[in-house]
Amino acid sequence: MLRKLQRKTLIPAQIAGYALTLLVGVAIVLLSLQVYCDIKPLLTHQTDVFKAHTVTVSKNVTVFKTANKEGLYFSEKELDKLKSQEFVNNVAQFRSASFATKAAISFEGQRMSTDLFFESVPDGYLDVESDDWKWDSTADFLPIVIPEDYLNLYNFGFAESQSLPVVSAPVLSQITFSIFVEGNGKSKVFKSRIVGLSGKINSILVPDDFLQWANSEFGTSEEHSSSRLLVEFTDASDERIPQYFEANGLNINKTELETSKMAFFFKLAMLFVTIIAAIIIVLSVAFIIMSMNLIVQRNREMFVNLYNIGYSHKVISRFYKVIVSIITAVDILLSSALVLLVRRWYMGRLSVLFDTGGGIIPTLAGAAILLALLLIICNIFTDRVIRNIIK
Amino acid sequence: MSELEVAGSDIYLKPSVVFEQGRFYMVCASSGHGKTSLLNFIYGVSDSFDGNVYLTEDEERRAENATHPALTGTPLREGMANAGTENGLRTKVLSFVFQDLALFPELTAMENVQLKNRLTNFKSDAEIEAMLDSLLPPEKKNQLVATLSLGQRQRVAAVRALCQPFKFILMDEPFSHIDSENARRLATMVLDEVKRQGAGLIVTALDKIDYFPFDEILNL
Repeated sequence: MLRKLQRKTLIPAQIAGYALTLLVGVAIVLLSLQVYCDIKPLLTHQTDVFKAHTVTVSKNVTVFKTANKEGLYFSEKELDKLKSQEFVNNVAQFRSASFATKAAISFEGQRMSTDLFFESVPDGYLDVESDDWKWDSTADFLPIVIPEDYLNLYNFGFAESQSLPVVSAPVLSQITFSIFVEGNGKSKVFKSRIVGLSGKINSILVPDDFLQWANSEFGTSEEHSSSRLLVEFTDASDERIPQYFEANGLNINKTELETSKMAFFFKLAMLFVTIIAAIIIVLSVAFIIMSMNLIVQRNREMFVNLYNIGYSHKVISRFYKVIVSIITAVDILLSSALVLLVRRWYMGRLSVLFDTGGGIIPTLAGAAILLALLLIICNIFTDRVIRNIIK
Repeated sequence: MSELEVAGSDIYLKPSVVFEQGRFYMVCASSGHGKTSLLNFIYGVSDSFDGNVYLTEDEERRAENATHPALTGTPLREGMANAGTENGLRTKVLSFVFQDLALFPELTAMENVQLKNRLTNFKSDAEIEAMLDSLLPPEKKNQLVATLSLGQRQRVAAVRALCQPFKFILMDEPFSHIDSENARRLATMVLDEVKRQGAGLIVTALDKIDYFPFDEILNL
């Protein structure tokens, strides 16, 4: 009877308006949350062994420097100048091997070997599993990190033309080979494995402490100062970075800067979209509360009469609270479903390009939090609106 | 109202007025003298007055405080703040036939009564139907209240007021639009219920009416 009476007070257009705006708002918030969580690992290069915001810097090779190699090395003064820049967080030098190296592998009875070179960077700049990336002077194992490009060169160039099998990164890390080190009248053989691929640095890396030891053991000449530096920026999207490197004739890996910029704009866009969507949600809630107010004002007499014949405001408001709660819950469920549907579509495309592993937890958690929050807000306000009119 | 206007009143400016359960009171006054206001004060709908309304249910405590019998209970205004629930005063202690009836025109006569009875579960549907039928033409109980005459609505409101347990029933000019034959029939029904519940009765009227055996007639 009470429900029959109260059903007539509802304004369908306003309820539909609330349902629609809330649906749109929640869907956008959840979608941007989900997209952000799915894309973030790609932009912050968590797949890469190098830390984020780190780039390799070298001097431009010119005709004069071809004749005189000394011009390629960074002097102490130049290093200090670079370190003093505001946008530079840290600078690390590459260490080069000053001895001869060969790598050899046996494959289907054939033995192949090649000349190699090694460089190293301080361990803090690498993000390889610590178990693998370790050199123990008593063991004969030497972990290696190679550029991702080498693998691509092999897979798409060499293997293709020589009818050799292609190799994936996990398979590559299973292959063991031998490293011959020679110099100073001494030689040694190490077992080796590729433990990581770097997309940012074009060099063959070994642990820094190994190279330090090997240079003193097999090195033929004194160590040069570095020709290449690792520069860690505070914010890689800083405008001054390209200007500085341009002005000082330094070569910088620009893709990293571009990626950083892209990441920055992506985050900004996501933030913007989320704020707009949050505003939509707030407005939709304000809308339903105003609608409740209108219903109560329009039917003031009915509410007061109900109260006067003994209905409590709790019982009177229950119907409206249930209606609003159901709409809110259904809306959030619908938008979650929508987001997961959209995610399936874009993940289908993303997973072709990248190795993506994230789950749907952001959507579910976001939906749960929104649901709880909106239910509490709507119920409290509905209750208050009705209580105010009858007292 | 000025003091002169209320000089002859049995209620205004008196230190206390006691309505006792089981007794029947008529409050008489010409229009504009606050009959409805008085009932609203008692029912807790209005609090624009000085003083307090007390409701005492405990007979023993009342006897102990014989000098100020009314002061032993909870002030009604406080009681009302906690009332308005299904278990509140308005469903268990006080019943009210409002002067403006407080019916819901979009419901039928039967539904209007049922709406109250849902809260109290005091009468069966059959009993309600019998009560309505004895006061209204039989087809009227299933018509929207909006289509009923004022007198018919008054009877519906009265039947509704009987669908709850009460210690007092307040009736605000309940017979103003009802002919004497129907009024007498309604009064008999109310009286039966009041006596069955051992309740008190407060009726307001413009002029003296004789449908109830009043114990006391108060001039407002």
